[in-house]
Amino acid sequence: MRKVSIVGIGHTVFGNLSEFDLVDVMGFASGNALDDAGIRDNRKIVEQVFVANMGGGILNHQTGIASSLVSRMDMEPAMAELIENGPASGASAVKMGYMAIASGLVDVVMVTGGELMRTVTGWEGTDFVASLLHSEAEYNYGLTLPAYGGMFTRMYMERYGLTERDLGLVAVKDHQNGEKNPFAHVRVPCTIDAIHDNENAHVINNYIAEPLRMYGMCPVSDGAASLILCANDSPKMKYFTKQKPILISGVGSATDTHCVHNRKDPLILDAVRLAAEKAYKMAELKPDDISFAELHDAFVILELAISEEVGFFERGKAGDAIRNGVTAINGAKPINTSGGLKSKGHPVGATGVSQVFELVKQLREQGEEGRQVKDPKHGMAVNFGGFGNNVVAIICSKGEV
Amino acid sequence: MIDFSAYGVQTPVVNAVKCPSCGKLFYPAPMICSGCGERRDPSGIIFKDWETVSLSGECTLLAWTRVYALPEGYEMQYLLFGIVEFPNGLRASGRLNVDQPVTGMKVNAEVEVMENSKGKEFDGFVFGS
Repeated sequence: MRKVSIVGIGHTVFGNLSEFDLVDVMGFASGNALDDAGIRDNRKIVEQVFVANMGGGILNHQTGIASSLVSRMDMEPAMAELIENGPASGASAVKMGYMAIASGLVDVVMVTGGELMRTVTGWEGTDFVASLLHSEAEYNYGLTLPAYGGMFTRMYMERYGLTERDLGLVAVKDHQNGEKNPFAHVRVPCTIDAIHDNENAHVINNYIAEPLRMYGMCPVSDGAASLILCANDSPKMKYFTKQKPILISGVGSATDTHCVHNRKDPLILDAVRLAAEKAYKMAELKPDDISFAELHDAFVILELAISEEVGFFERGKAGDAIRNGVTAINGAKPINTSGGLKSKGHPVGATGVSQVFELVKQLREQGEEGRQVKDPKHGMAVNFGGFGNNVVAIICSKGEV
Repeated sequence: MIDFSAYGVQTPVVNAVKCPSCGKLFYPAPMICSGCGERRDPSGIIFKDWETVSLSGECTLLAWTRVYALPEGYEMQYLLFGIVEFPNGLRASGRLNVDQPVTGMKVNAEVEVMENSKGKEFDGFVFGS
């Protein structure tokens, strides 16, 4: 297969953008990526556009979004398709972009993920995301993703002795990184005293889905991110001299049972492990080779569970890592250097693209002061769809073209 | 218990299904048996529809949560949810109605007519003590 690199990246701020149009928000991120790639005036060399979005039809009453984006960006006649894979839509679109180029079909692809979720109330937004659950056996009851996050957290705490304070430490670490990320949604400082140790901590950090509290969940965000991909062996690579290309060295994804209750051990996230194993195999890398990672912490417990499932830590030991600062920006294995979903935000269709954006930014060593990983070589992104029923892993590496 | 079925009143029920070839039980119903590959046809036209097995009674609480941030359509302050395992090995998610839930406790799965967030009625589990 051909080697594929990321040659341009773009991002909007994550937060409340509900006064804007969905395609405009995606277009802003796409324009930033075209500019970053240095093809502002040569944008017609993009042959294929993949757009990641989960709820345009439901939340914004907009369909045919990929065609709309291409037209608004004056990029016709590029081929264009929408990728909907729940909260993993973003990394799925990156995977499709990789496949389109690796297969030889095209040389240059733009991948843009975006979501406007704050156009509806939080209750409607929660209901929209819950619509990915099994309609008869899960959704009907009023079960939501936070409900499964809560049950998963309790099972993990009871089995491995993790405490609510440990969960708070994940949020504190994520906010330390997110505070320095100009695109992050929640850039407020967060201390363990304020959200756990203080006797009044429960006032600002109340239960949402026991034992998960407010600071254990990601915010509901709007935003978009975009990437330009090019084949390493393409003559069109000559257009991309502005930035150092970053190689997509590993891609993998896997599925698991739709109903969480049907997993033999609901604490084992098979799709995460299998997606990561495929990506490692393709990249010829091991977990120890990964310098830093963006892991899908829609609920803080997921950062810990995913970090174990991809092989960074033994099962049940991720709590030690957070307590000992291993996953902090200056630790041995920095995780969620962008602030993660917890602080940066989670516009579902944009998230996977934004995770890969962060990998590229770190590997180019363009991170803001205080959140740049030292001498990174390989970064991994894990984008978690459903409650782990469809997971995509992407590894990016510094590489010679 | 009075049988109202003669009056067209149906007792709420949640059904598991049983593969007619290998006997493996499933909840909710799949379209293909993971044990032997047998196909199910809900219309019963091409393949035989599978036998249903009513699911209720004593079970074990495997996981639970109390959710305060409920989706649009629910007016209460919170709802309790749980995942249970039945003696036949099948598991289910549903609402929980226990004052002090403890993981591993025995609960009783009853089936009631309830409404989803859109106001649509369905037969669903309430796990009580």
